[in-house]
Amino acid sequence: MTPAILLLLFGMVTAGLSLQIRIGTLRAPGSGFFPFYLGLLLVVLAAIHLGLLWRGGRSVSGEEVGLLPRGSWQRVLLFLGAMSLATGLLTVLGYPLVAFLLMALLLYILGVRRWLHIVVVALCAAGVSYALFVRWLQIPLPMAGFGL
Amino acid sequence: MDVLGSLQYLVTGFGVATTPENLFYCLAGAIVGTLVGVLPGLGPIAGIALLIPATFNLNATSAIIMLAGIYYGAMYGGSTTSILLNVPGETASVMTCIDGYQMARKGRAGPALAICAIGSFVAGGLAILGLAFLAPPLAEAALAFGPPEFFSLMVFGFVVLSNVTGGSLIKSLMMAVVGLIIGTIGLDPVSGNPRFTFGQVSLLGGIEFVAVAIGLFGIGEVLVNVEQPAQVLEQGVLLPRFRDLYPTLQDLKQSLSPILRGAAIGFGVGLVPGPAPVIATYASYMVEKRISAHPEEFGHGAIEGVAGPESANNAACQSAFIPLFVLGIPFAPPTAILLGALLIHGVNPGPAMIAEHPQLFWGVVASMYIGNFILLLLNLPFVPLFANILRIPKKVLLPLVILFCLTGMYSVNNFMLDLWVMLGCGALGYLMRRWAYEGAPLLLALVLGPKLEVAFRQSLMISHGDFAIFADRPLSLLFLLATTGFLVLPLFKIAVQSARRRTAAM
Repeated sequence: MTPAILLLLFGMVTAGLSLQIRIGTLRAPGSGFFPFYLGLLLVVLAAIHLGLLWRGGRSVSGEEVGLLPRGSWQRVLLFLGAMSLATGLLTVLGYPLVAFLLMALLLYILGVRRWLHIVVVALCAAGVSYALFVRWLQIPLPMAGFGL
Repeated sequence: MDVLGSLQYLVTGFGVATTPENLFYCLAGAIVGTLVGVLPGLGPIAGIALLIPATFNLNATSAIIMLAGIYYGAMYGGSTTSILLNVPGETASVMTCIDGYQMARKGRAGPALAICAIGSFVAGGLAILGLAFLAPPLAEAALAFGPPEFFSLMVFGFVVLSNVTGGSLIKSLMMAVVGLIIGTIGLDPVSGNPRFTFGQVSLLGGIEFVAVAIGLFGIGEVLVNVEQPAQVLEQGVLLPRFRDLYPTLQDLKQSLSPILRGAAIGFGVGLVPGPAPVIATYASYMVEKRISAHPEEFGHGAIEGVAGPESANNAACQSAFIPLFVLGIPFAPPTAILLGALLIHGVNPGPAMIAEHPQLFWGVVASMYIGNFILLLLNLPFVPLFANILRIPKKVLLPLVILFCLTGMYSVNNFMLDLWVMLGCGALGYLMRRWAYEGAPLLLALVLGPKLEVAFRQSLMISHGDFAIFADRPLSLLFLLATTGFLVLPLFKIAVQSARRRTAAM
């Protein structure tokens, strides 16, 4: 039920925000025309879907229960947290250090506990990606204090 | 353009494709594609998207040669894990699992893999021939398309894709609409006014589709894998023993007809909207089983059940380039990513592309022949080598994929916002998988959204606001009628089923 409600709200917000842009007429549609009707279409589709779910149309619903899906999602949240942290620190610490720390953190989250193992794998991964992206492909990744 | 003209251009194309530089990129694409196909969780969509930054320093022809190589290379690679581990490397290899894995259990993994490579080579080659000779006349015909025809064709594409992706039609349609809405962020393609940018300059260029693709299909898949129990993440996989590596003459004889039939089915399916390789493999498997003299062997290691679908898979993947090059409308997510790559390199695919960029079109077509040959050479002797990548435990592989996703994404525009969009889409992709929503319609809609909007608004401007323009033009009407058919069909089915149930209950 939850995703359908979220989609319904998303459609309503889209249509509402589109009203603030010029919708125009059928002869000369404005910038808000297309997103406004898309928002309405989403509201209609989500409402139909909700109606079917409400009537117990199991074949249509798939596996929709609760806000968060079942399963061991704690590790998923930790993974997302680690990635967000790495993204946030990229410009502060520079790519090589962030790549190393991210790898080490993700390995730890996935259950690797031998520190030597973590350091060697993280160092190799950060080194190879640095060589590939920064040296070979010349991508200007943030370097912070590592502007080698 | 006549057949002789096409042949002449094809020869020129071979001249382009066989320069040392392009040969190198073709080889690189084939190898990366095979790797991407072998690795479960990293499909051709994320693979192509990740490698786009690596093509920035290349000319458009070399770039597309490499990216196309990743696409069809992944089709070869995907069969490897299906046969050896019963794990499809990408969705199009699901049917190969059925008989391929049974063959592997009987010690016949070698012949199964070899037949896959040979079938893919033959079918891929035939499909490229079709691409070379069909695309130019189709492009000339498509020049007559106006905005109403393009609009109706795209709507048809969305509905068909939503109908055949396997999940619920209404959920897929909602995802397509969400993709279209996200596609409206940024500057209005007609008037140039900003929309939904909330005063942020960084949003004026719109949402980067590569970020959405890597998020939904790369990070989303990794997050689903992360949920697995610790002992699963701990292990690499154990490969079955290879008793013999090459197929017997009998195997080849049995496989020839399924390969040719698979090529024909795949080529036809690739031309219509939808996840062509998936549908083509399913159709080919069903056809082979139905016409087989020994259908009871299917599911227990019938070589025809591997030869047909794998050939269909590759043929569909090659013919999917026709709508992309000829109409500028990709009918499946991997070709949608290729459309994005073409646009990044300043090439606007559509009816005029073959005439405007003959070097690129014919160079890419010729490179596909070469790429298929490289893949055949690569796959026959080196399959066990590629399969060894699977020995790397998931707990090491998954963080590596994340690191490459983050780095690759930053490389596209050197833009922090793209990374956040990618992470958001990664979380969204994870939830969508858990809630059984399809990502493909969203991505396709995001790429095609601006084109759809322009075609729609131009049509209304031409007709002074009269919707009849979509029905007045015969081709547009045809597409709309077909769309209605696809929308009504599921409702009709439900009505028939409930009527039957009522009759049975009485």
